[in-house]
Amino acid sequence: MKSKILGWMVLCFFLFLPAAAGAAEKFPAKAIELVVPFAAGGSTDVLARLVAKYAPKYFEKPLVVVNKPGGGGITGTEGVVRSKPDGYTLYVGYGSGHDLVTPHFQKMPYATFHDLLPVCRLSVHSIVMIIRSNAPYKTLKEFIDWGRTKEQVTASVSTKAGSVDIVFQAVGKATGLKMVTVPFRGGAESVTAIIGGQTDCGGNHPSEIISHIKAGRLVPIAVALEARDPALPDVPTFRELGYNVVAVGSVKGVAAPKGTPPEVIGYLTERFKKVCEDPEFIKSMKDIGQPVMYQGPQEFGKYLKDGFEDYGKLIKEFNIKLE
Amino acid sequence: MSEIWAMFQGLGSGFGIAFSLNNLTFAFIGAVLGTVVGILPGLGPAATISLLLPLSFKIGSPVTSIIMMAGIFYGAMYGGSTTSILVNIPGEAASVVTCIDGYQMALKGRAGPALGMSAIGSFIAGTIGVIGLTFVAPPLAEFALQFGPPEYFALTLLGLVMATLLGEGSAVKGLIMVVLGLLLGSVGLDPISGAIRFTWGLHMLQEGIDFVTLAMGMFGVGEIFYNLEKALKTELVTRKITHLWPTLKDWADSKWAVIRGSFIGFFIGILPGGGAVISSLVSYAVEKKVSKHPEEFGKGAIQGVAGPESANNSAASASFIPLLTLGIPGNAAIAMIFAALLIQGVQPGPFLITEKPDIFWGVVASMYIGNVMLLILNLPMVGLWVQLLRVPYAILAPIIVLFCCVGVYSIRNTVFDIYVMGIFGVIGYILRKVKLEPGPMILAFVLGPIMERAIRQALLISAGSPLIFFTRPISGTLMGGLILFFVLQAFFTLRNRKKVPGQ
Amino acid sequence: MGKFKHPGPGFFPFGLAVILAFLALALILQSRRKEEVPAPFWPERTWRRPLLGAAVFLLYAFSLGYLGFILTTCLFLVVWMWGVERIRWLTIITISIGVTAVLYFIFEYFLEVPLPTGFWS
Repeated sequence: MKSKILGWMVLCFFLFLPAAAGAAEKFPAKAIELVVPFAAGGSTDVLARLVAKYAPKYFEKPLVVVNKPGGGGITGTEGVVRSKPDGYTLYVGYGSGHDLVTPHFQKMPYATFHDLLPVCRLSVHSIVMIIRSNAPYKTLKEFIDWGRTKEQVTASVSTKAGSVDIVFQAVGKATGLKMVTVPFRGGAESVTAIIGGQTDCGGNHPSEIISHIKAGRLVPIAVALEARDPALPDVPTFRELGYNVVAVGSVKGVAAPKGTPPEVIGYLTERFKKVCEDPEFIKSMKDIGQPVMYQGPQEFGKYLKDGFEDYGKLIKEFNIKLE
Repeated sequence: MSEIWAMFQGLGSGFGIAFSLNNLTFAFIGAVLGTVVGILPGLGPAATISLLLPLSFKIGSPVTSIIMMAGIFYGAMYGGSTTSILVNIPGEAASVVTCIDGYQMALKGRAGPALGMSAIGSFIAGTIGVIGLTFVAPPLAEFALQFGPPEYFALTLLGLVMATLLGEGSAVKGLIMVVLGLLLGSVGLDPISGAIRFTWGLHMLQEGIDFVTLAMGMFGVGEIFYNLEKALKTELVTRKITHLWPTLKDWADSKWAVIRGSFIGFFIGILPGGGAVISSLVSYAVEKKVSKHPEEFGKGAIQGVAGPESANNSAASASFIPLLTLGIPGNAAIAMIFAALLIQGVQPGPFLITEKPDIFWGVVASMYIGNVMLLILNLPMVGLWVQLLRVPYAILAPIIVLFCCVGVYSIRNTVFDIYVMGIFGVIGYILRKVKLEPGPMILAFVLGPIMERAIRQALLISAGSPLIFFTRPISGTLMGGLILFFVLQAFFTLRNRKKVPGQ
Repeated sequence: MGKFKHPGPGFFPFGLAVILAFLALALILQSRRKEEVPAPFWPERTWRRPLLGAAVFLLYAFSLGYLGFILTTCLFLVVWMWGVERIRWLTIITISIGVTAVLYFIFEYFLEVPLPTGFWS
């Protein structure tokens, strides 16, 4: 009788062994969560979902997009910061306004560069200045001349104190115009506003305006980047036009919480790189105005820090304040 | 002329596409899912669509996936009215108005006609909406673009004024509720400056109070606390439940309400943002004004159900217009559909109808079919729902409370929200005791943030000058109309007062 | 609070507070004019059952985090039906288990909403 029980126990032990081994199995053993700290439907969300769509070709387990909007992006990001650093919870959108701009103005509940590890850069969403095609001005110069005759000029921006807002305040100061930024609820609303002529100009990312440019409603007149944006190669940079307003725009990358093992990060970096090299993925991204701009973790980390400092310089040089 | 012919051709091919077995199946699945989601508290159409996005890739064809998602969207609109009528809990903001007369009808044993009329009205309105979509979409969408912050302010102000008229009590009481609702709406992050208001340091309140939490609390839990006083051992509806279907008289009474509601909903629904809510409010106010028996409103007038329900359904159809013609999503659920299209390589915008006519017309055609499907789905269920009211209230009550709790929990996965709901339950209870209506409050809560954002944006644009509200054509007309309205109201009230002798 | 040119976060709430103050005044004046017989809020101590209901509700919310959904919900239904309403035991048990099961299935499986697990997890 005793030996029978012992026999069963041993059997069970062997049955559980593979399960226990499974737990220590290679990464990934289950689906990976991509947290997007913005509402569904926005440019970051679309990017994440597109990546998730092509991921099955290169990842053994599916990537699942989860939206956690709130606090201008801080809520969702904080959620990732506090999650278990096992590589199953990743933050997509690393390098957005709340990472590079907000820390210059307010205290953050986490340390953007210490609590998060860069995995890779996916794309860069530059900030483009657009005007209506039926406006009484056609280029930046004409806009400035027109603006000088007015008490103020208005610019529609996606969020108060976001990257676009700050850049446009800088544009105002650089060009000597009294620029009033009018915040809306996200890129989609601000684009609607400029199309409808509610403001004199607008600031958006290429992905938000590319279809409207094609339709002939909006005209991009300048972009705030070091070099021209590959999504809009015909649009001059502010620097080319004589105004030193340069920023990295809104960078979109992947991040993992601090403490994630290096092998896991290595795996993720390698696979995301493969997705970024997939020709169909590249084409889909190009179609929606989000050029694929992959960067590995080290370069990406440096890029972000530089970008953060650039914003700091911009804010200082043009004395931008939060009202 | 050839343009109209081209439209018919397009529609014809669209029906061809929509009638494929694949598309029909998915339209049906969407409709069922949407109705379920609309009835269950907590999850809304936007959240459901985002859950199903990955599935939509597997479906393969973009046409089919939009058809399914569209089904979910207006299925939710249909379903939202069910709980409003049966247990006085609005499924979403657009159904709040339906609670007023719908619930009263249910209490009088007329839940069947209320539900039935709501379904039929929604069908007719939805169809009118799609017809409108087919023929006048592009020019209307252009017109909608002209709506900027001043116009939104005027419109939401209009909606709020309508809301104060909703209640039975004095205008002052209505106004107090509206103001309270507005204050509640400002809890949380200020949308324009990012400053935090009224949160008492509670991290959970940073995003503000969720509509569902407020609605479940004030309407659901509050009502139950209130009814607990009466020690109801029997069913909620003690009067014999009369007909299951609307009678011919109901039909006759409501048909104009439905037509009016459809048009109101269509035109206001095109506007991005609170379109459905405002249109249901306006419809109710209009019905009350043109009715020969305005005193019945608030006690179970069927036009008070037929009108607003039709309005919010045609608004749902209309909200597709900016998406399909301009590529601009009007609300959260449509934004999801927008994203889904983008991912599948389809650019919604002015070129959609020329570059991918099969998608455009396929979707439009399936909307017609979807409306029919929903009608067929919902009408037989009326009998089922009405039976629910037969359950002894003593048993029904805790179940309703539970549904509210789980629904509220499912939004943010935190018990904190349940506590908040409980607090609002107590508040709702107290409000009922002092005879203050929760309806205007909750509507103000929804419209408030929109209005505040609009007024601040407008003042930024106008450099501080309030004249902007009057100098722009559309907003000027709306404001002018409002002022006229007030003047007339004051005039009539004063005149009536003079007639009452003494005092 | 900001100026008209640049309305700040306090602009709206302050304006509302002012309006509310006026309205409260109006309400007071209005009620003075009418000849209402003040009715008692709670005739015959009817406040008991709502209070009981509220207490059970509070207990439910509190216990969810500790006992998990299934157990707490079941208990909630039992306690409510027994304490607040006084129903037959058989009915209580069937309904409690039945409703809990249905809710669990709809939300956890069908909608994939994670429900609290308390110390069971």
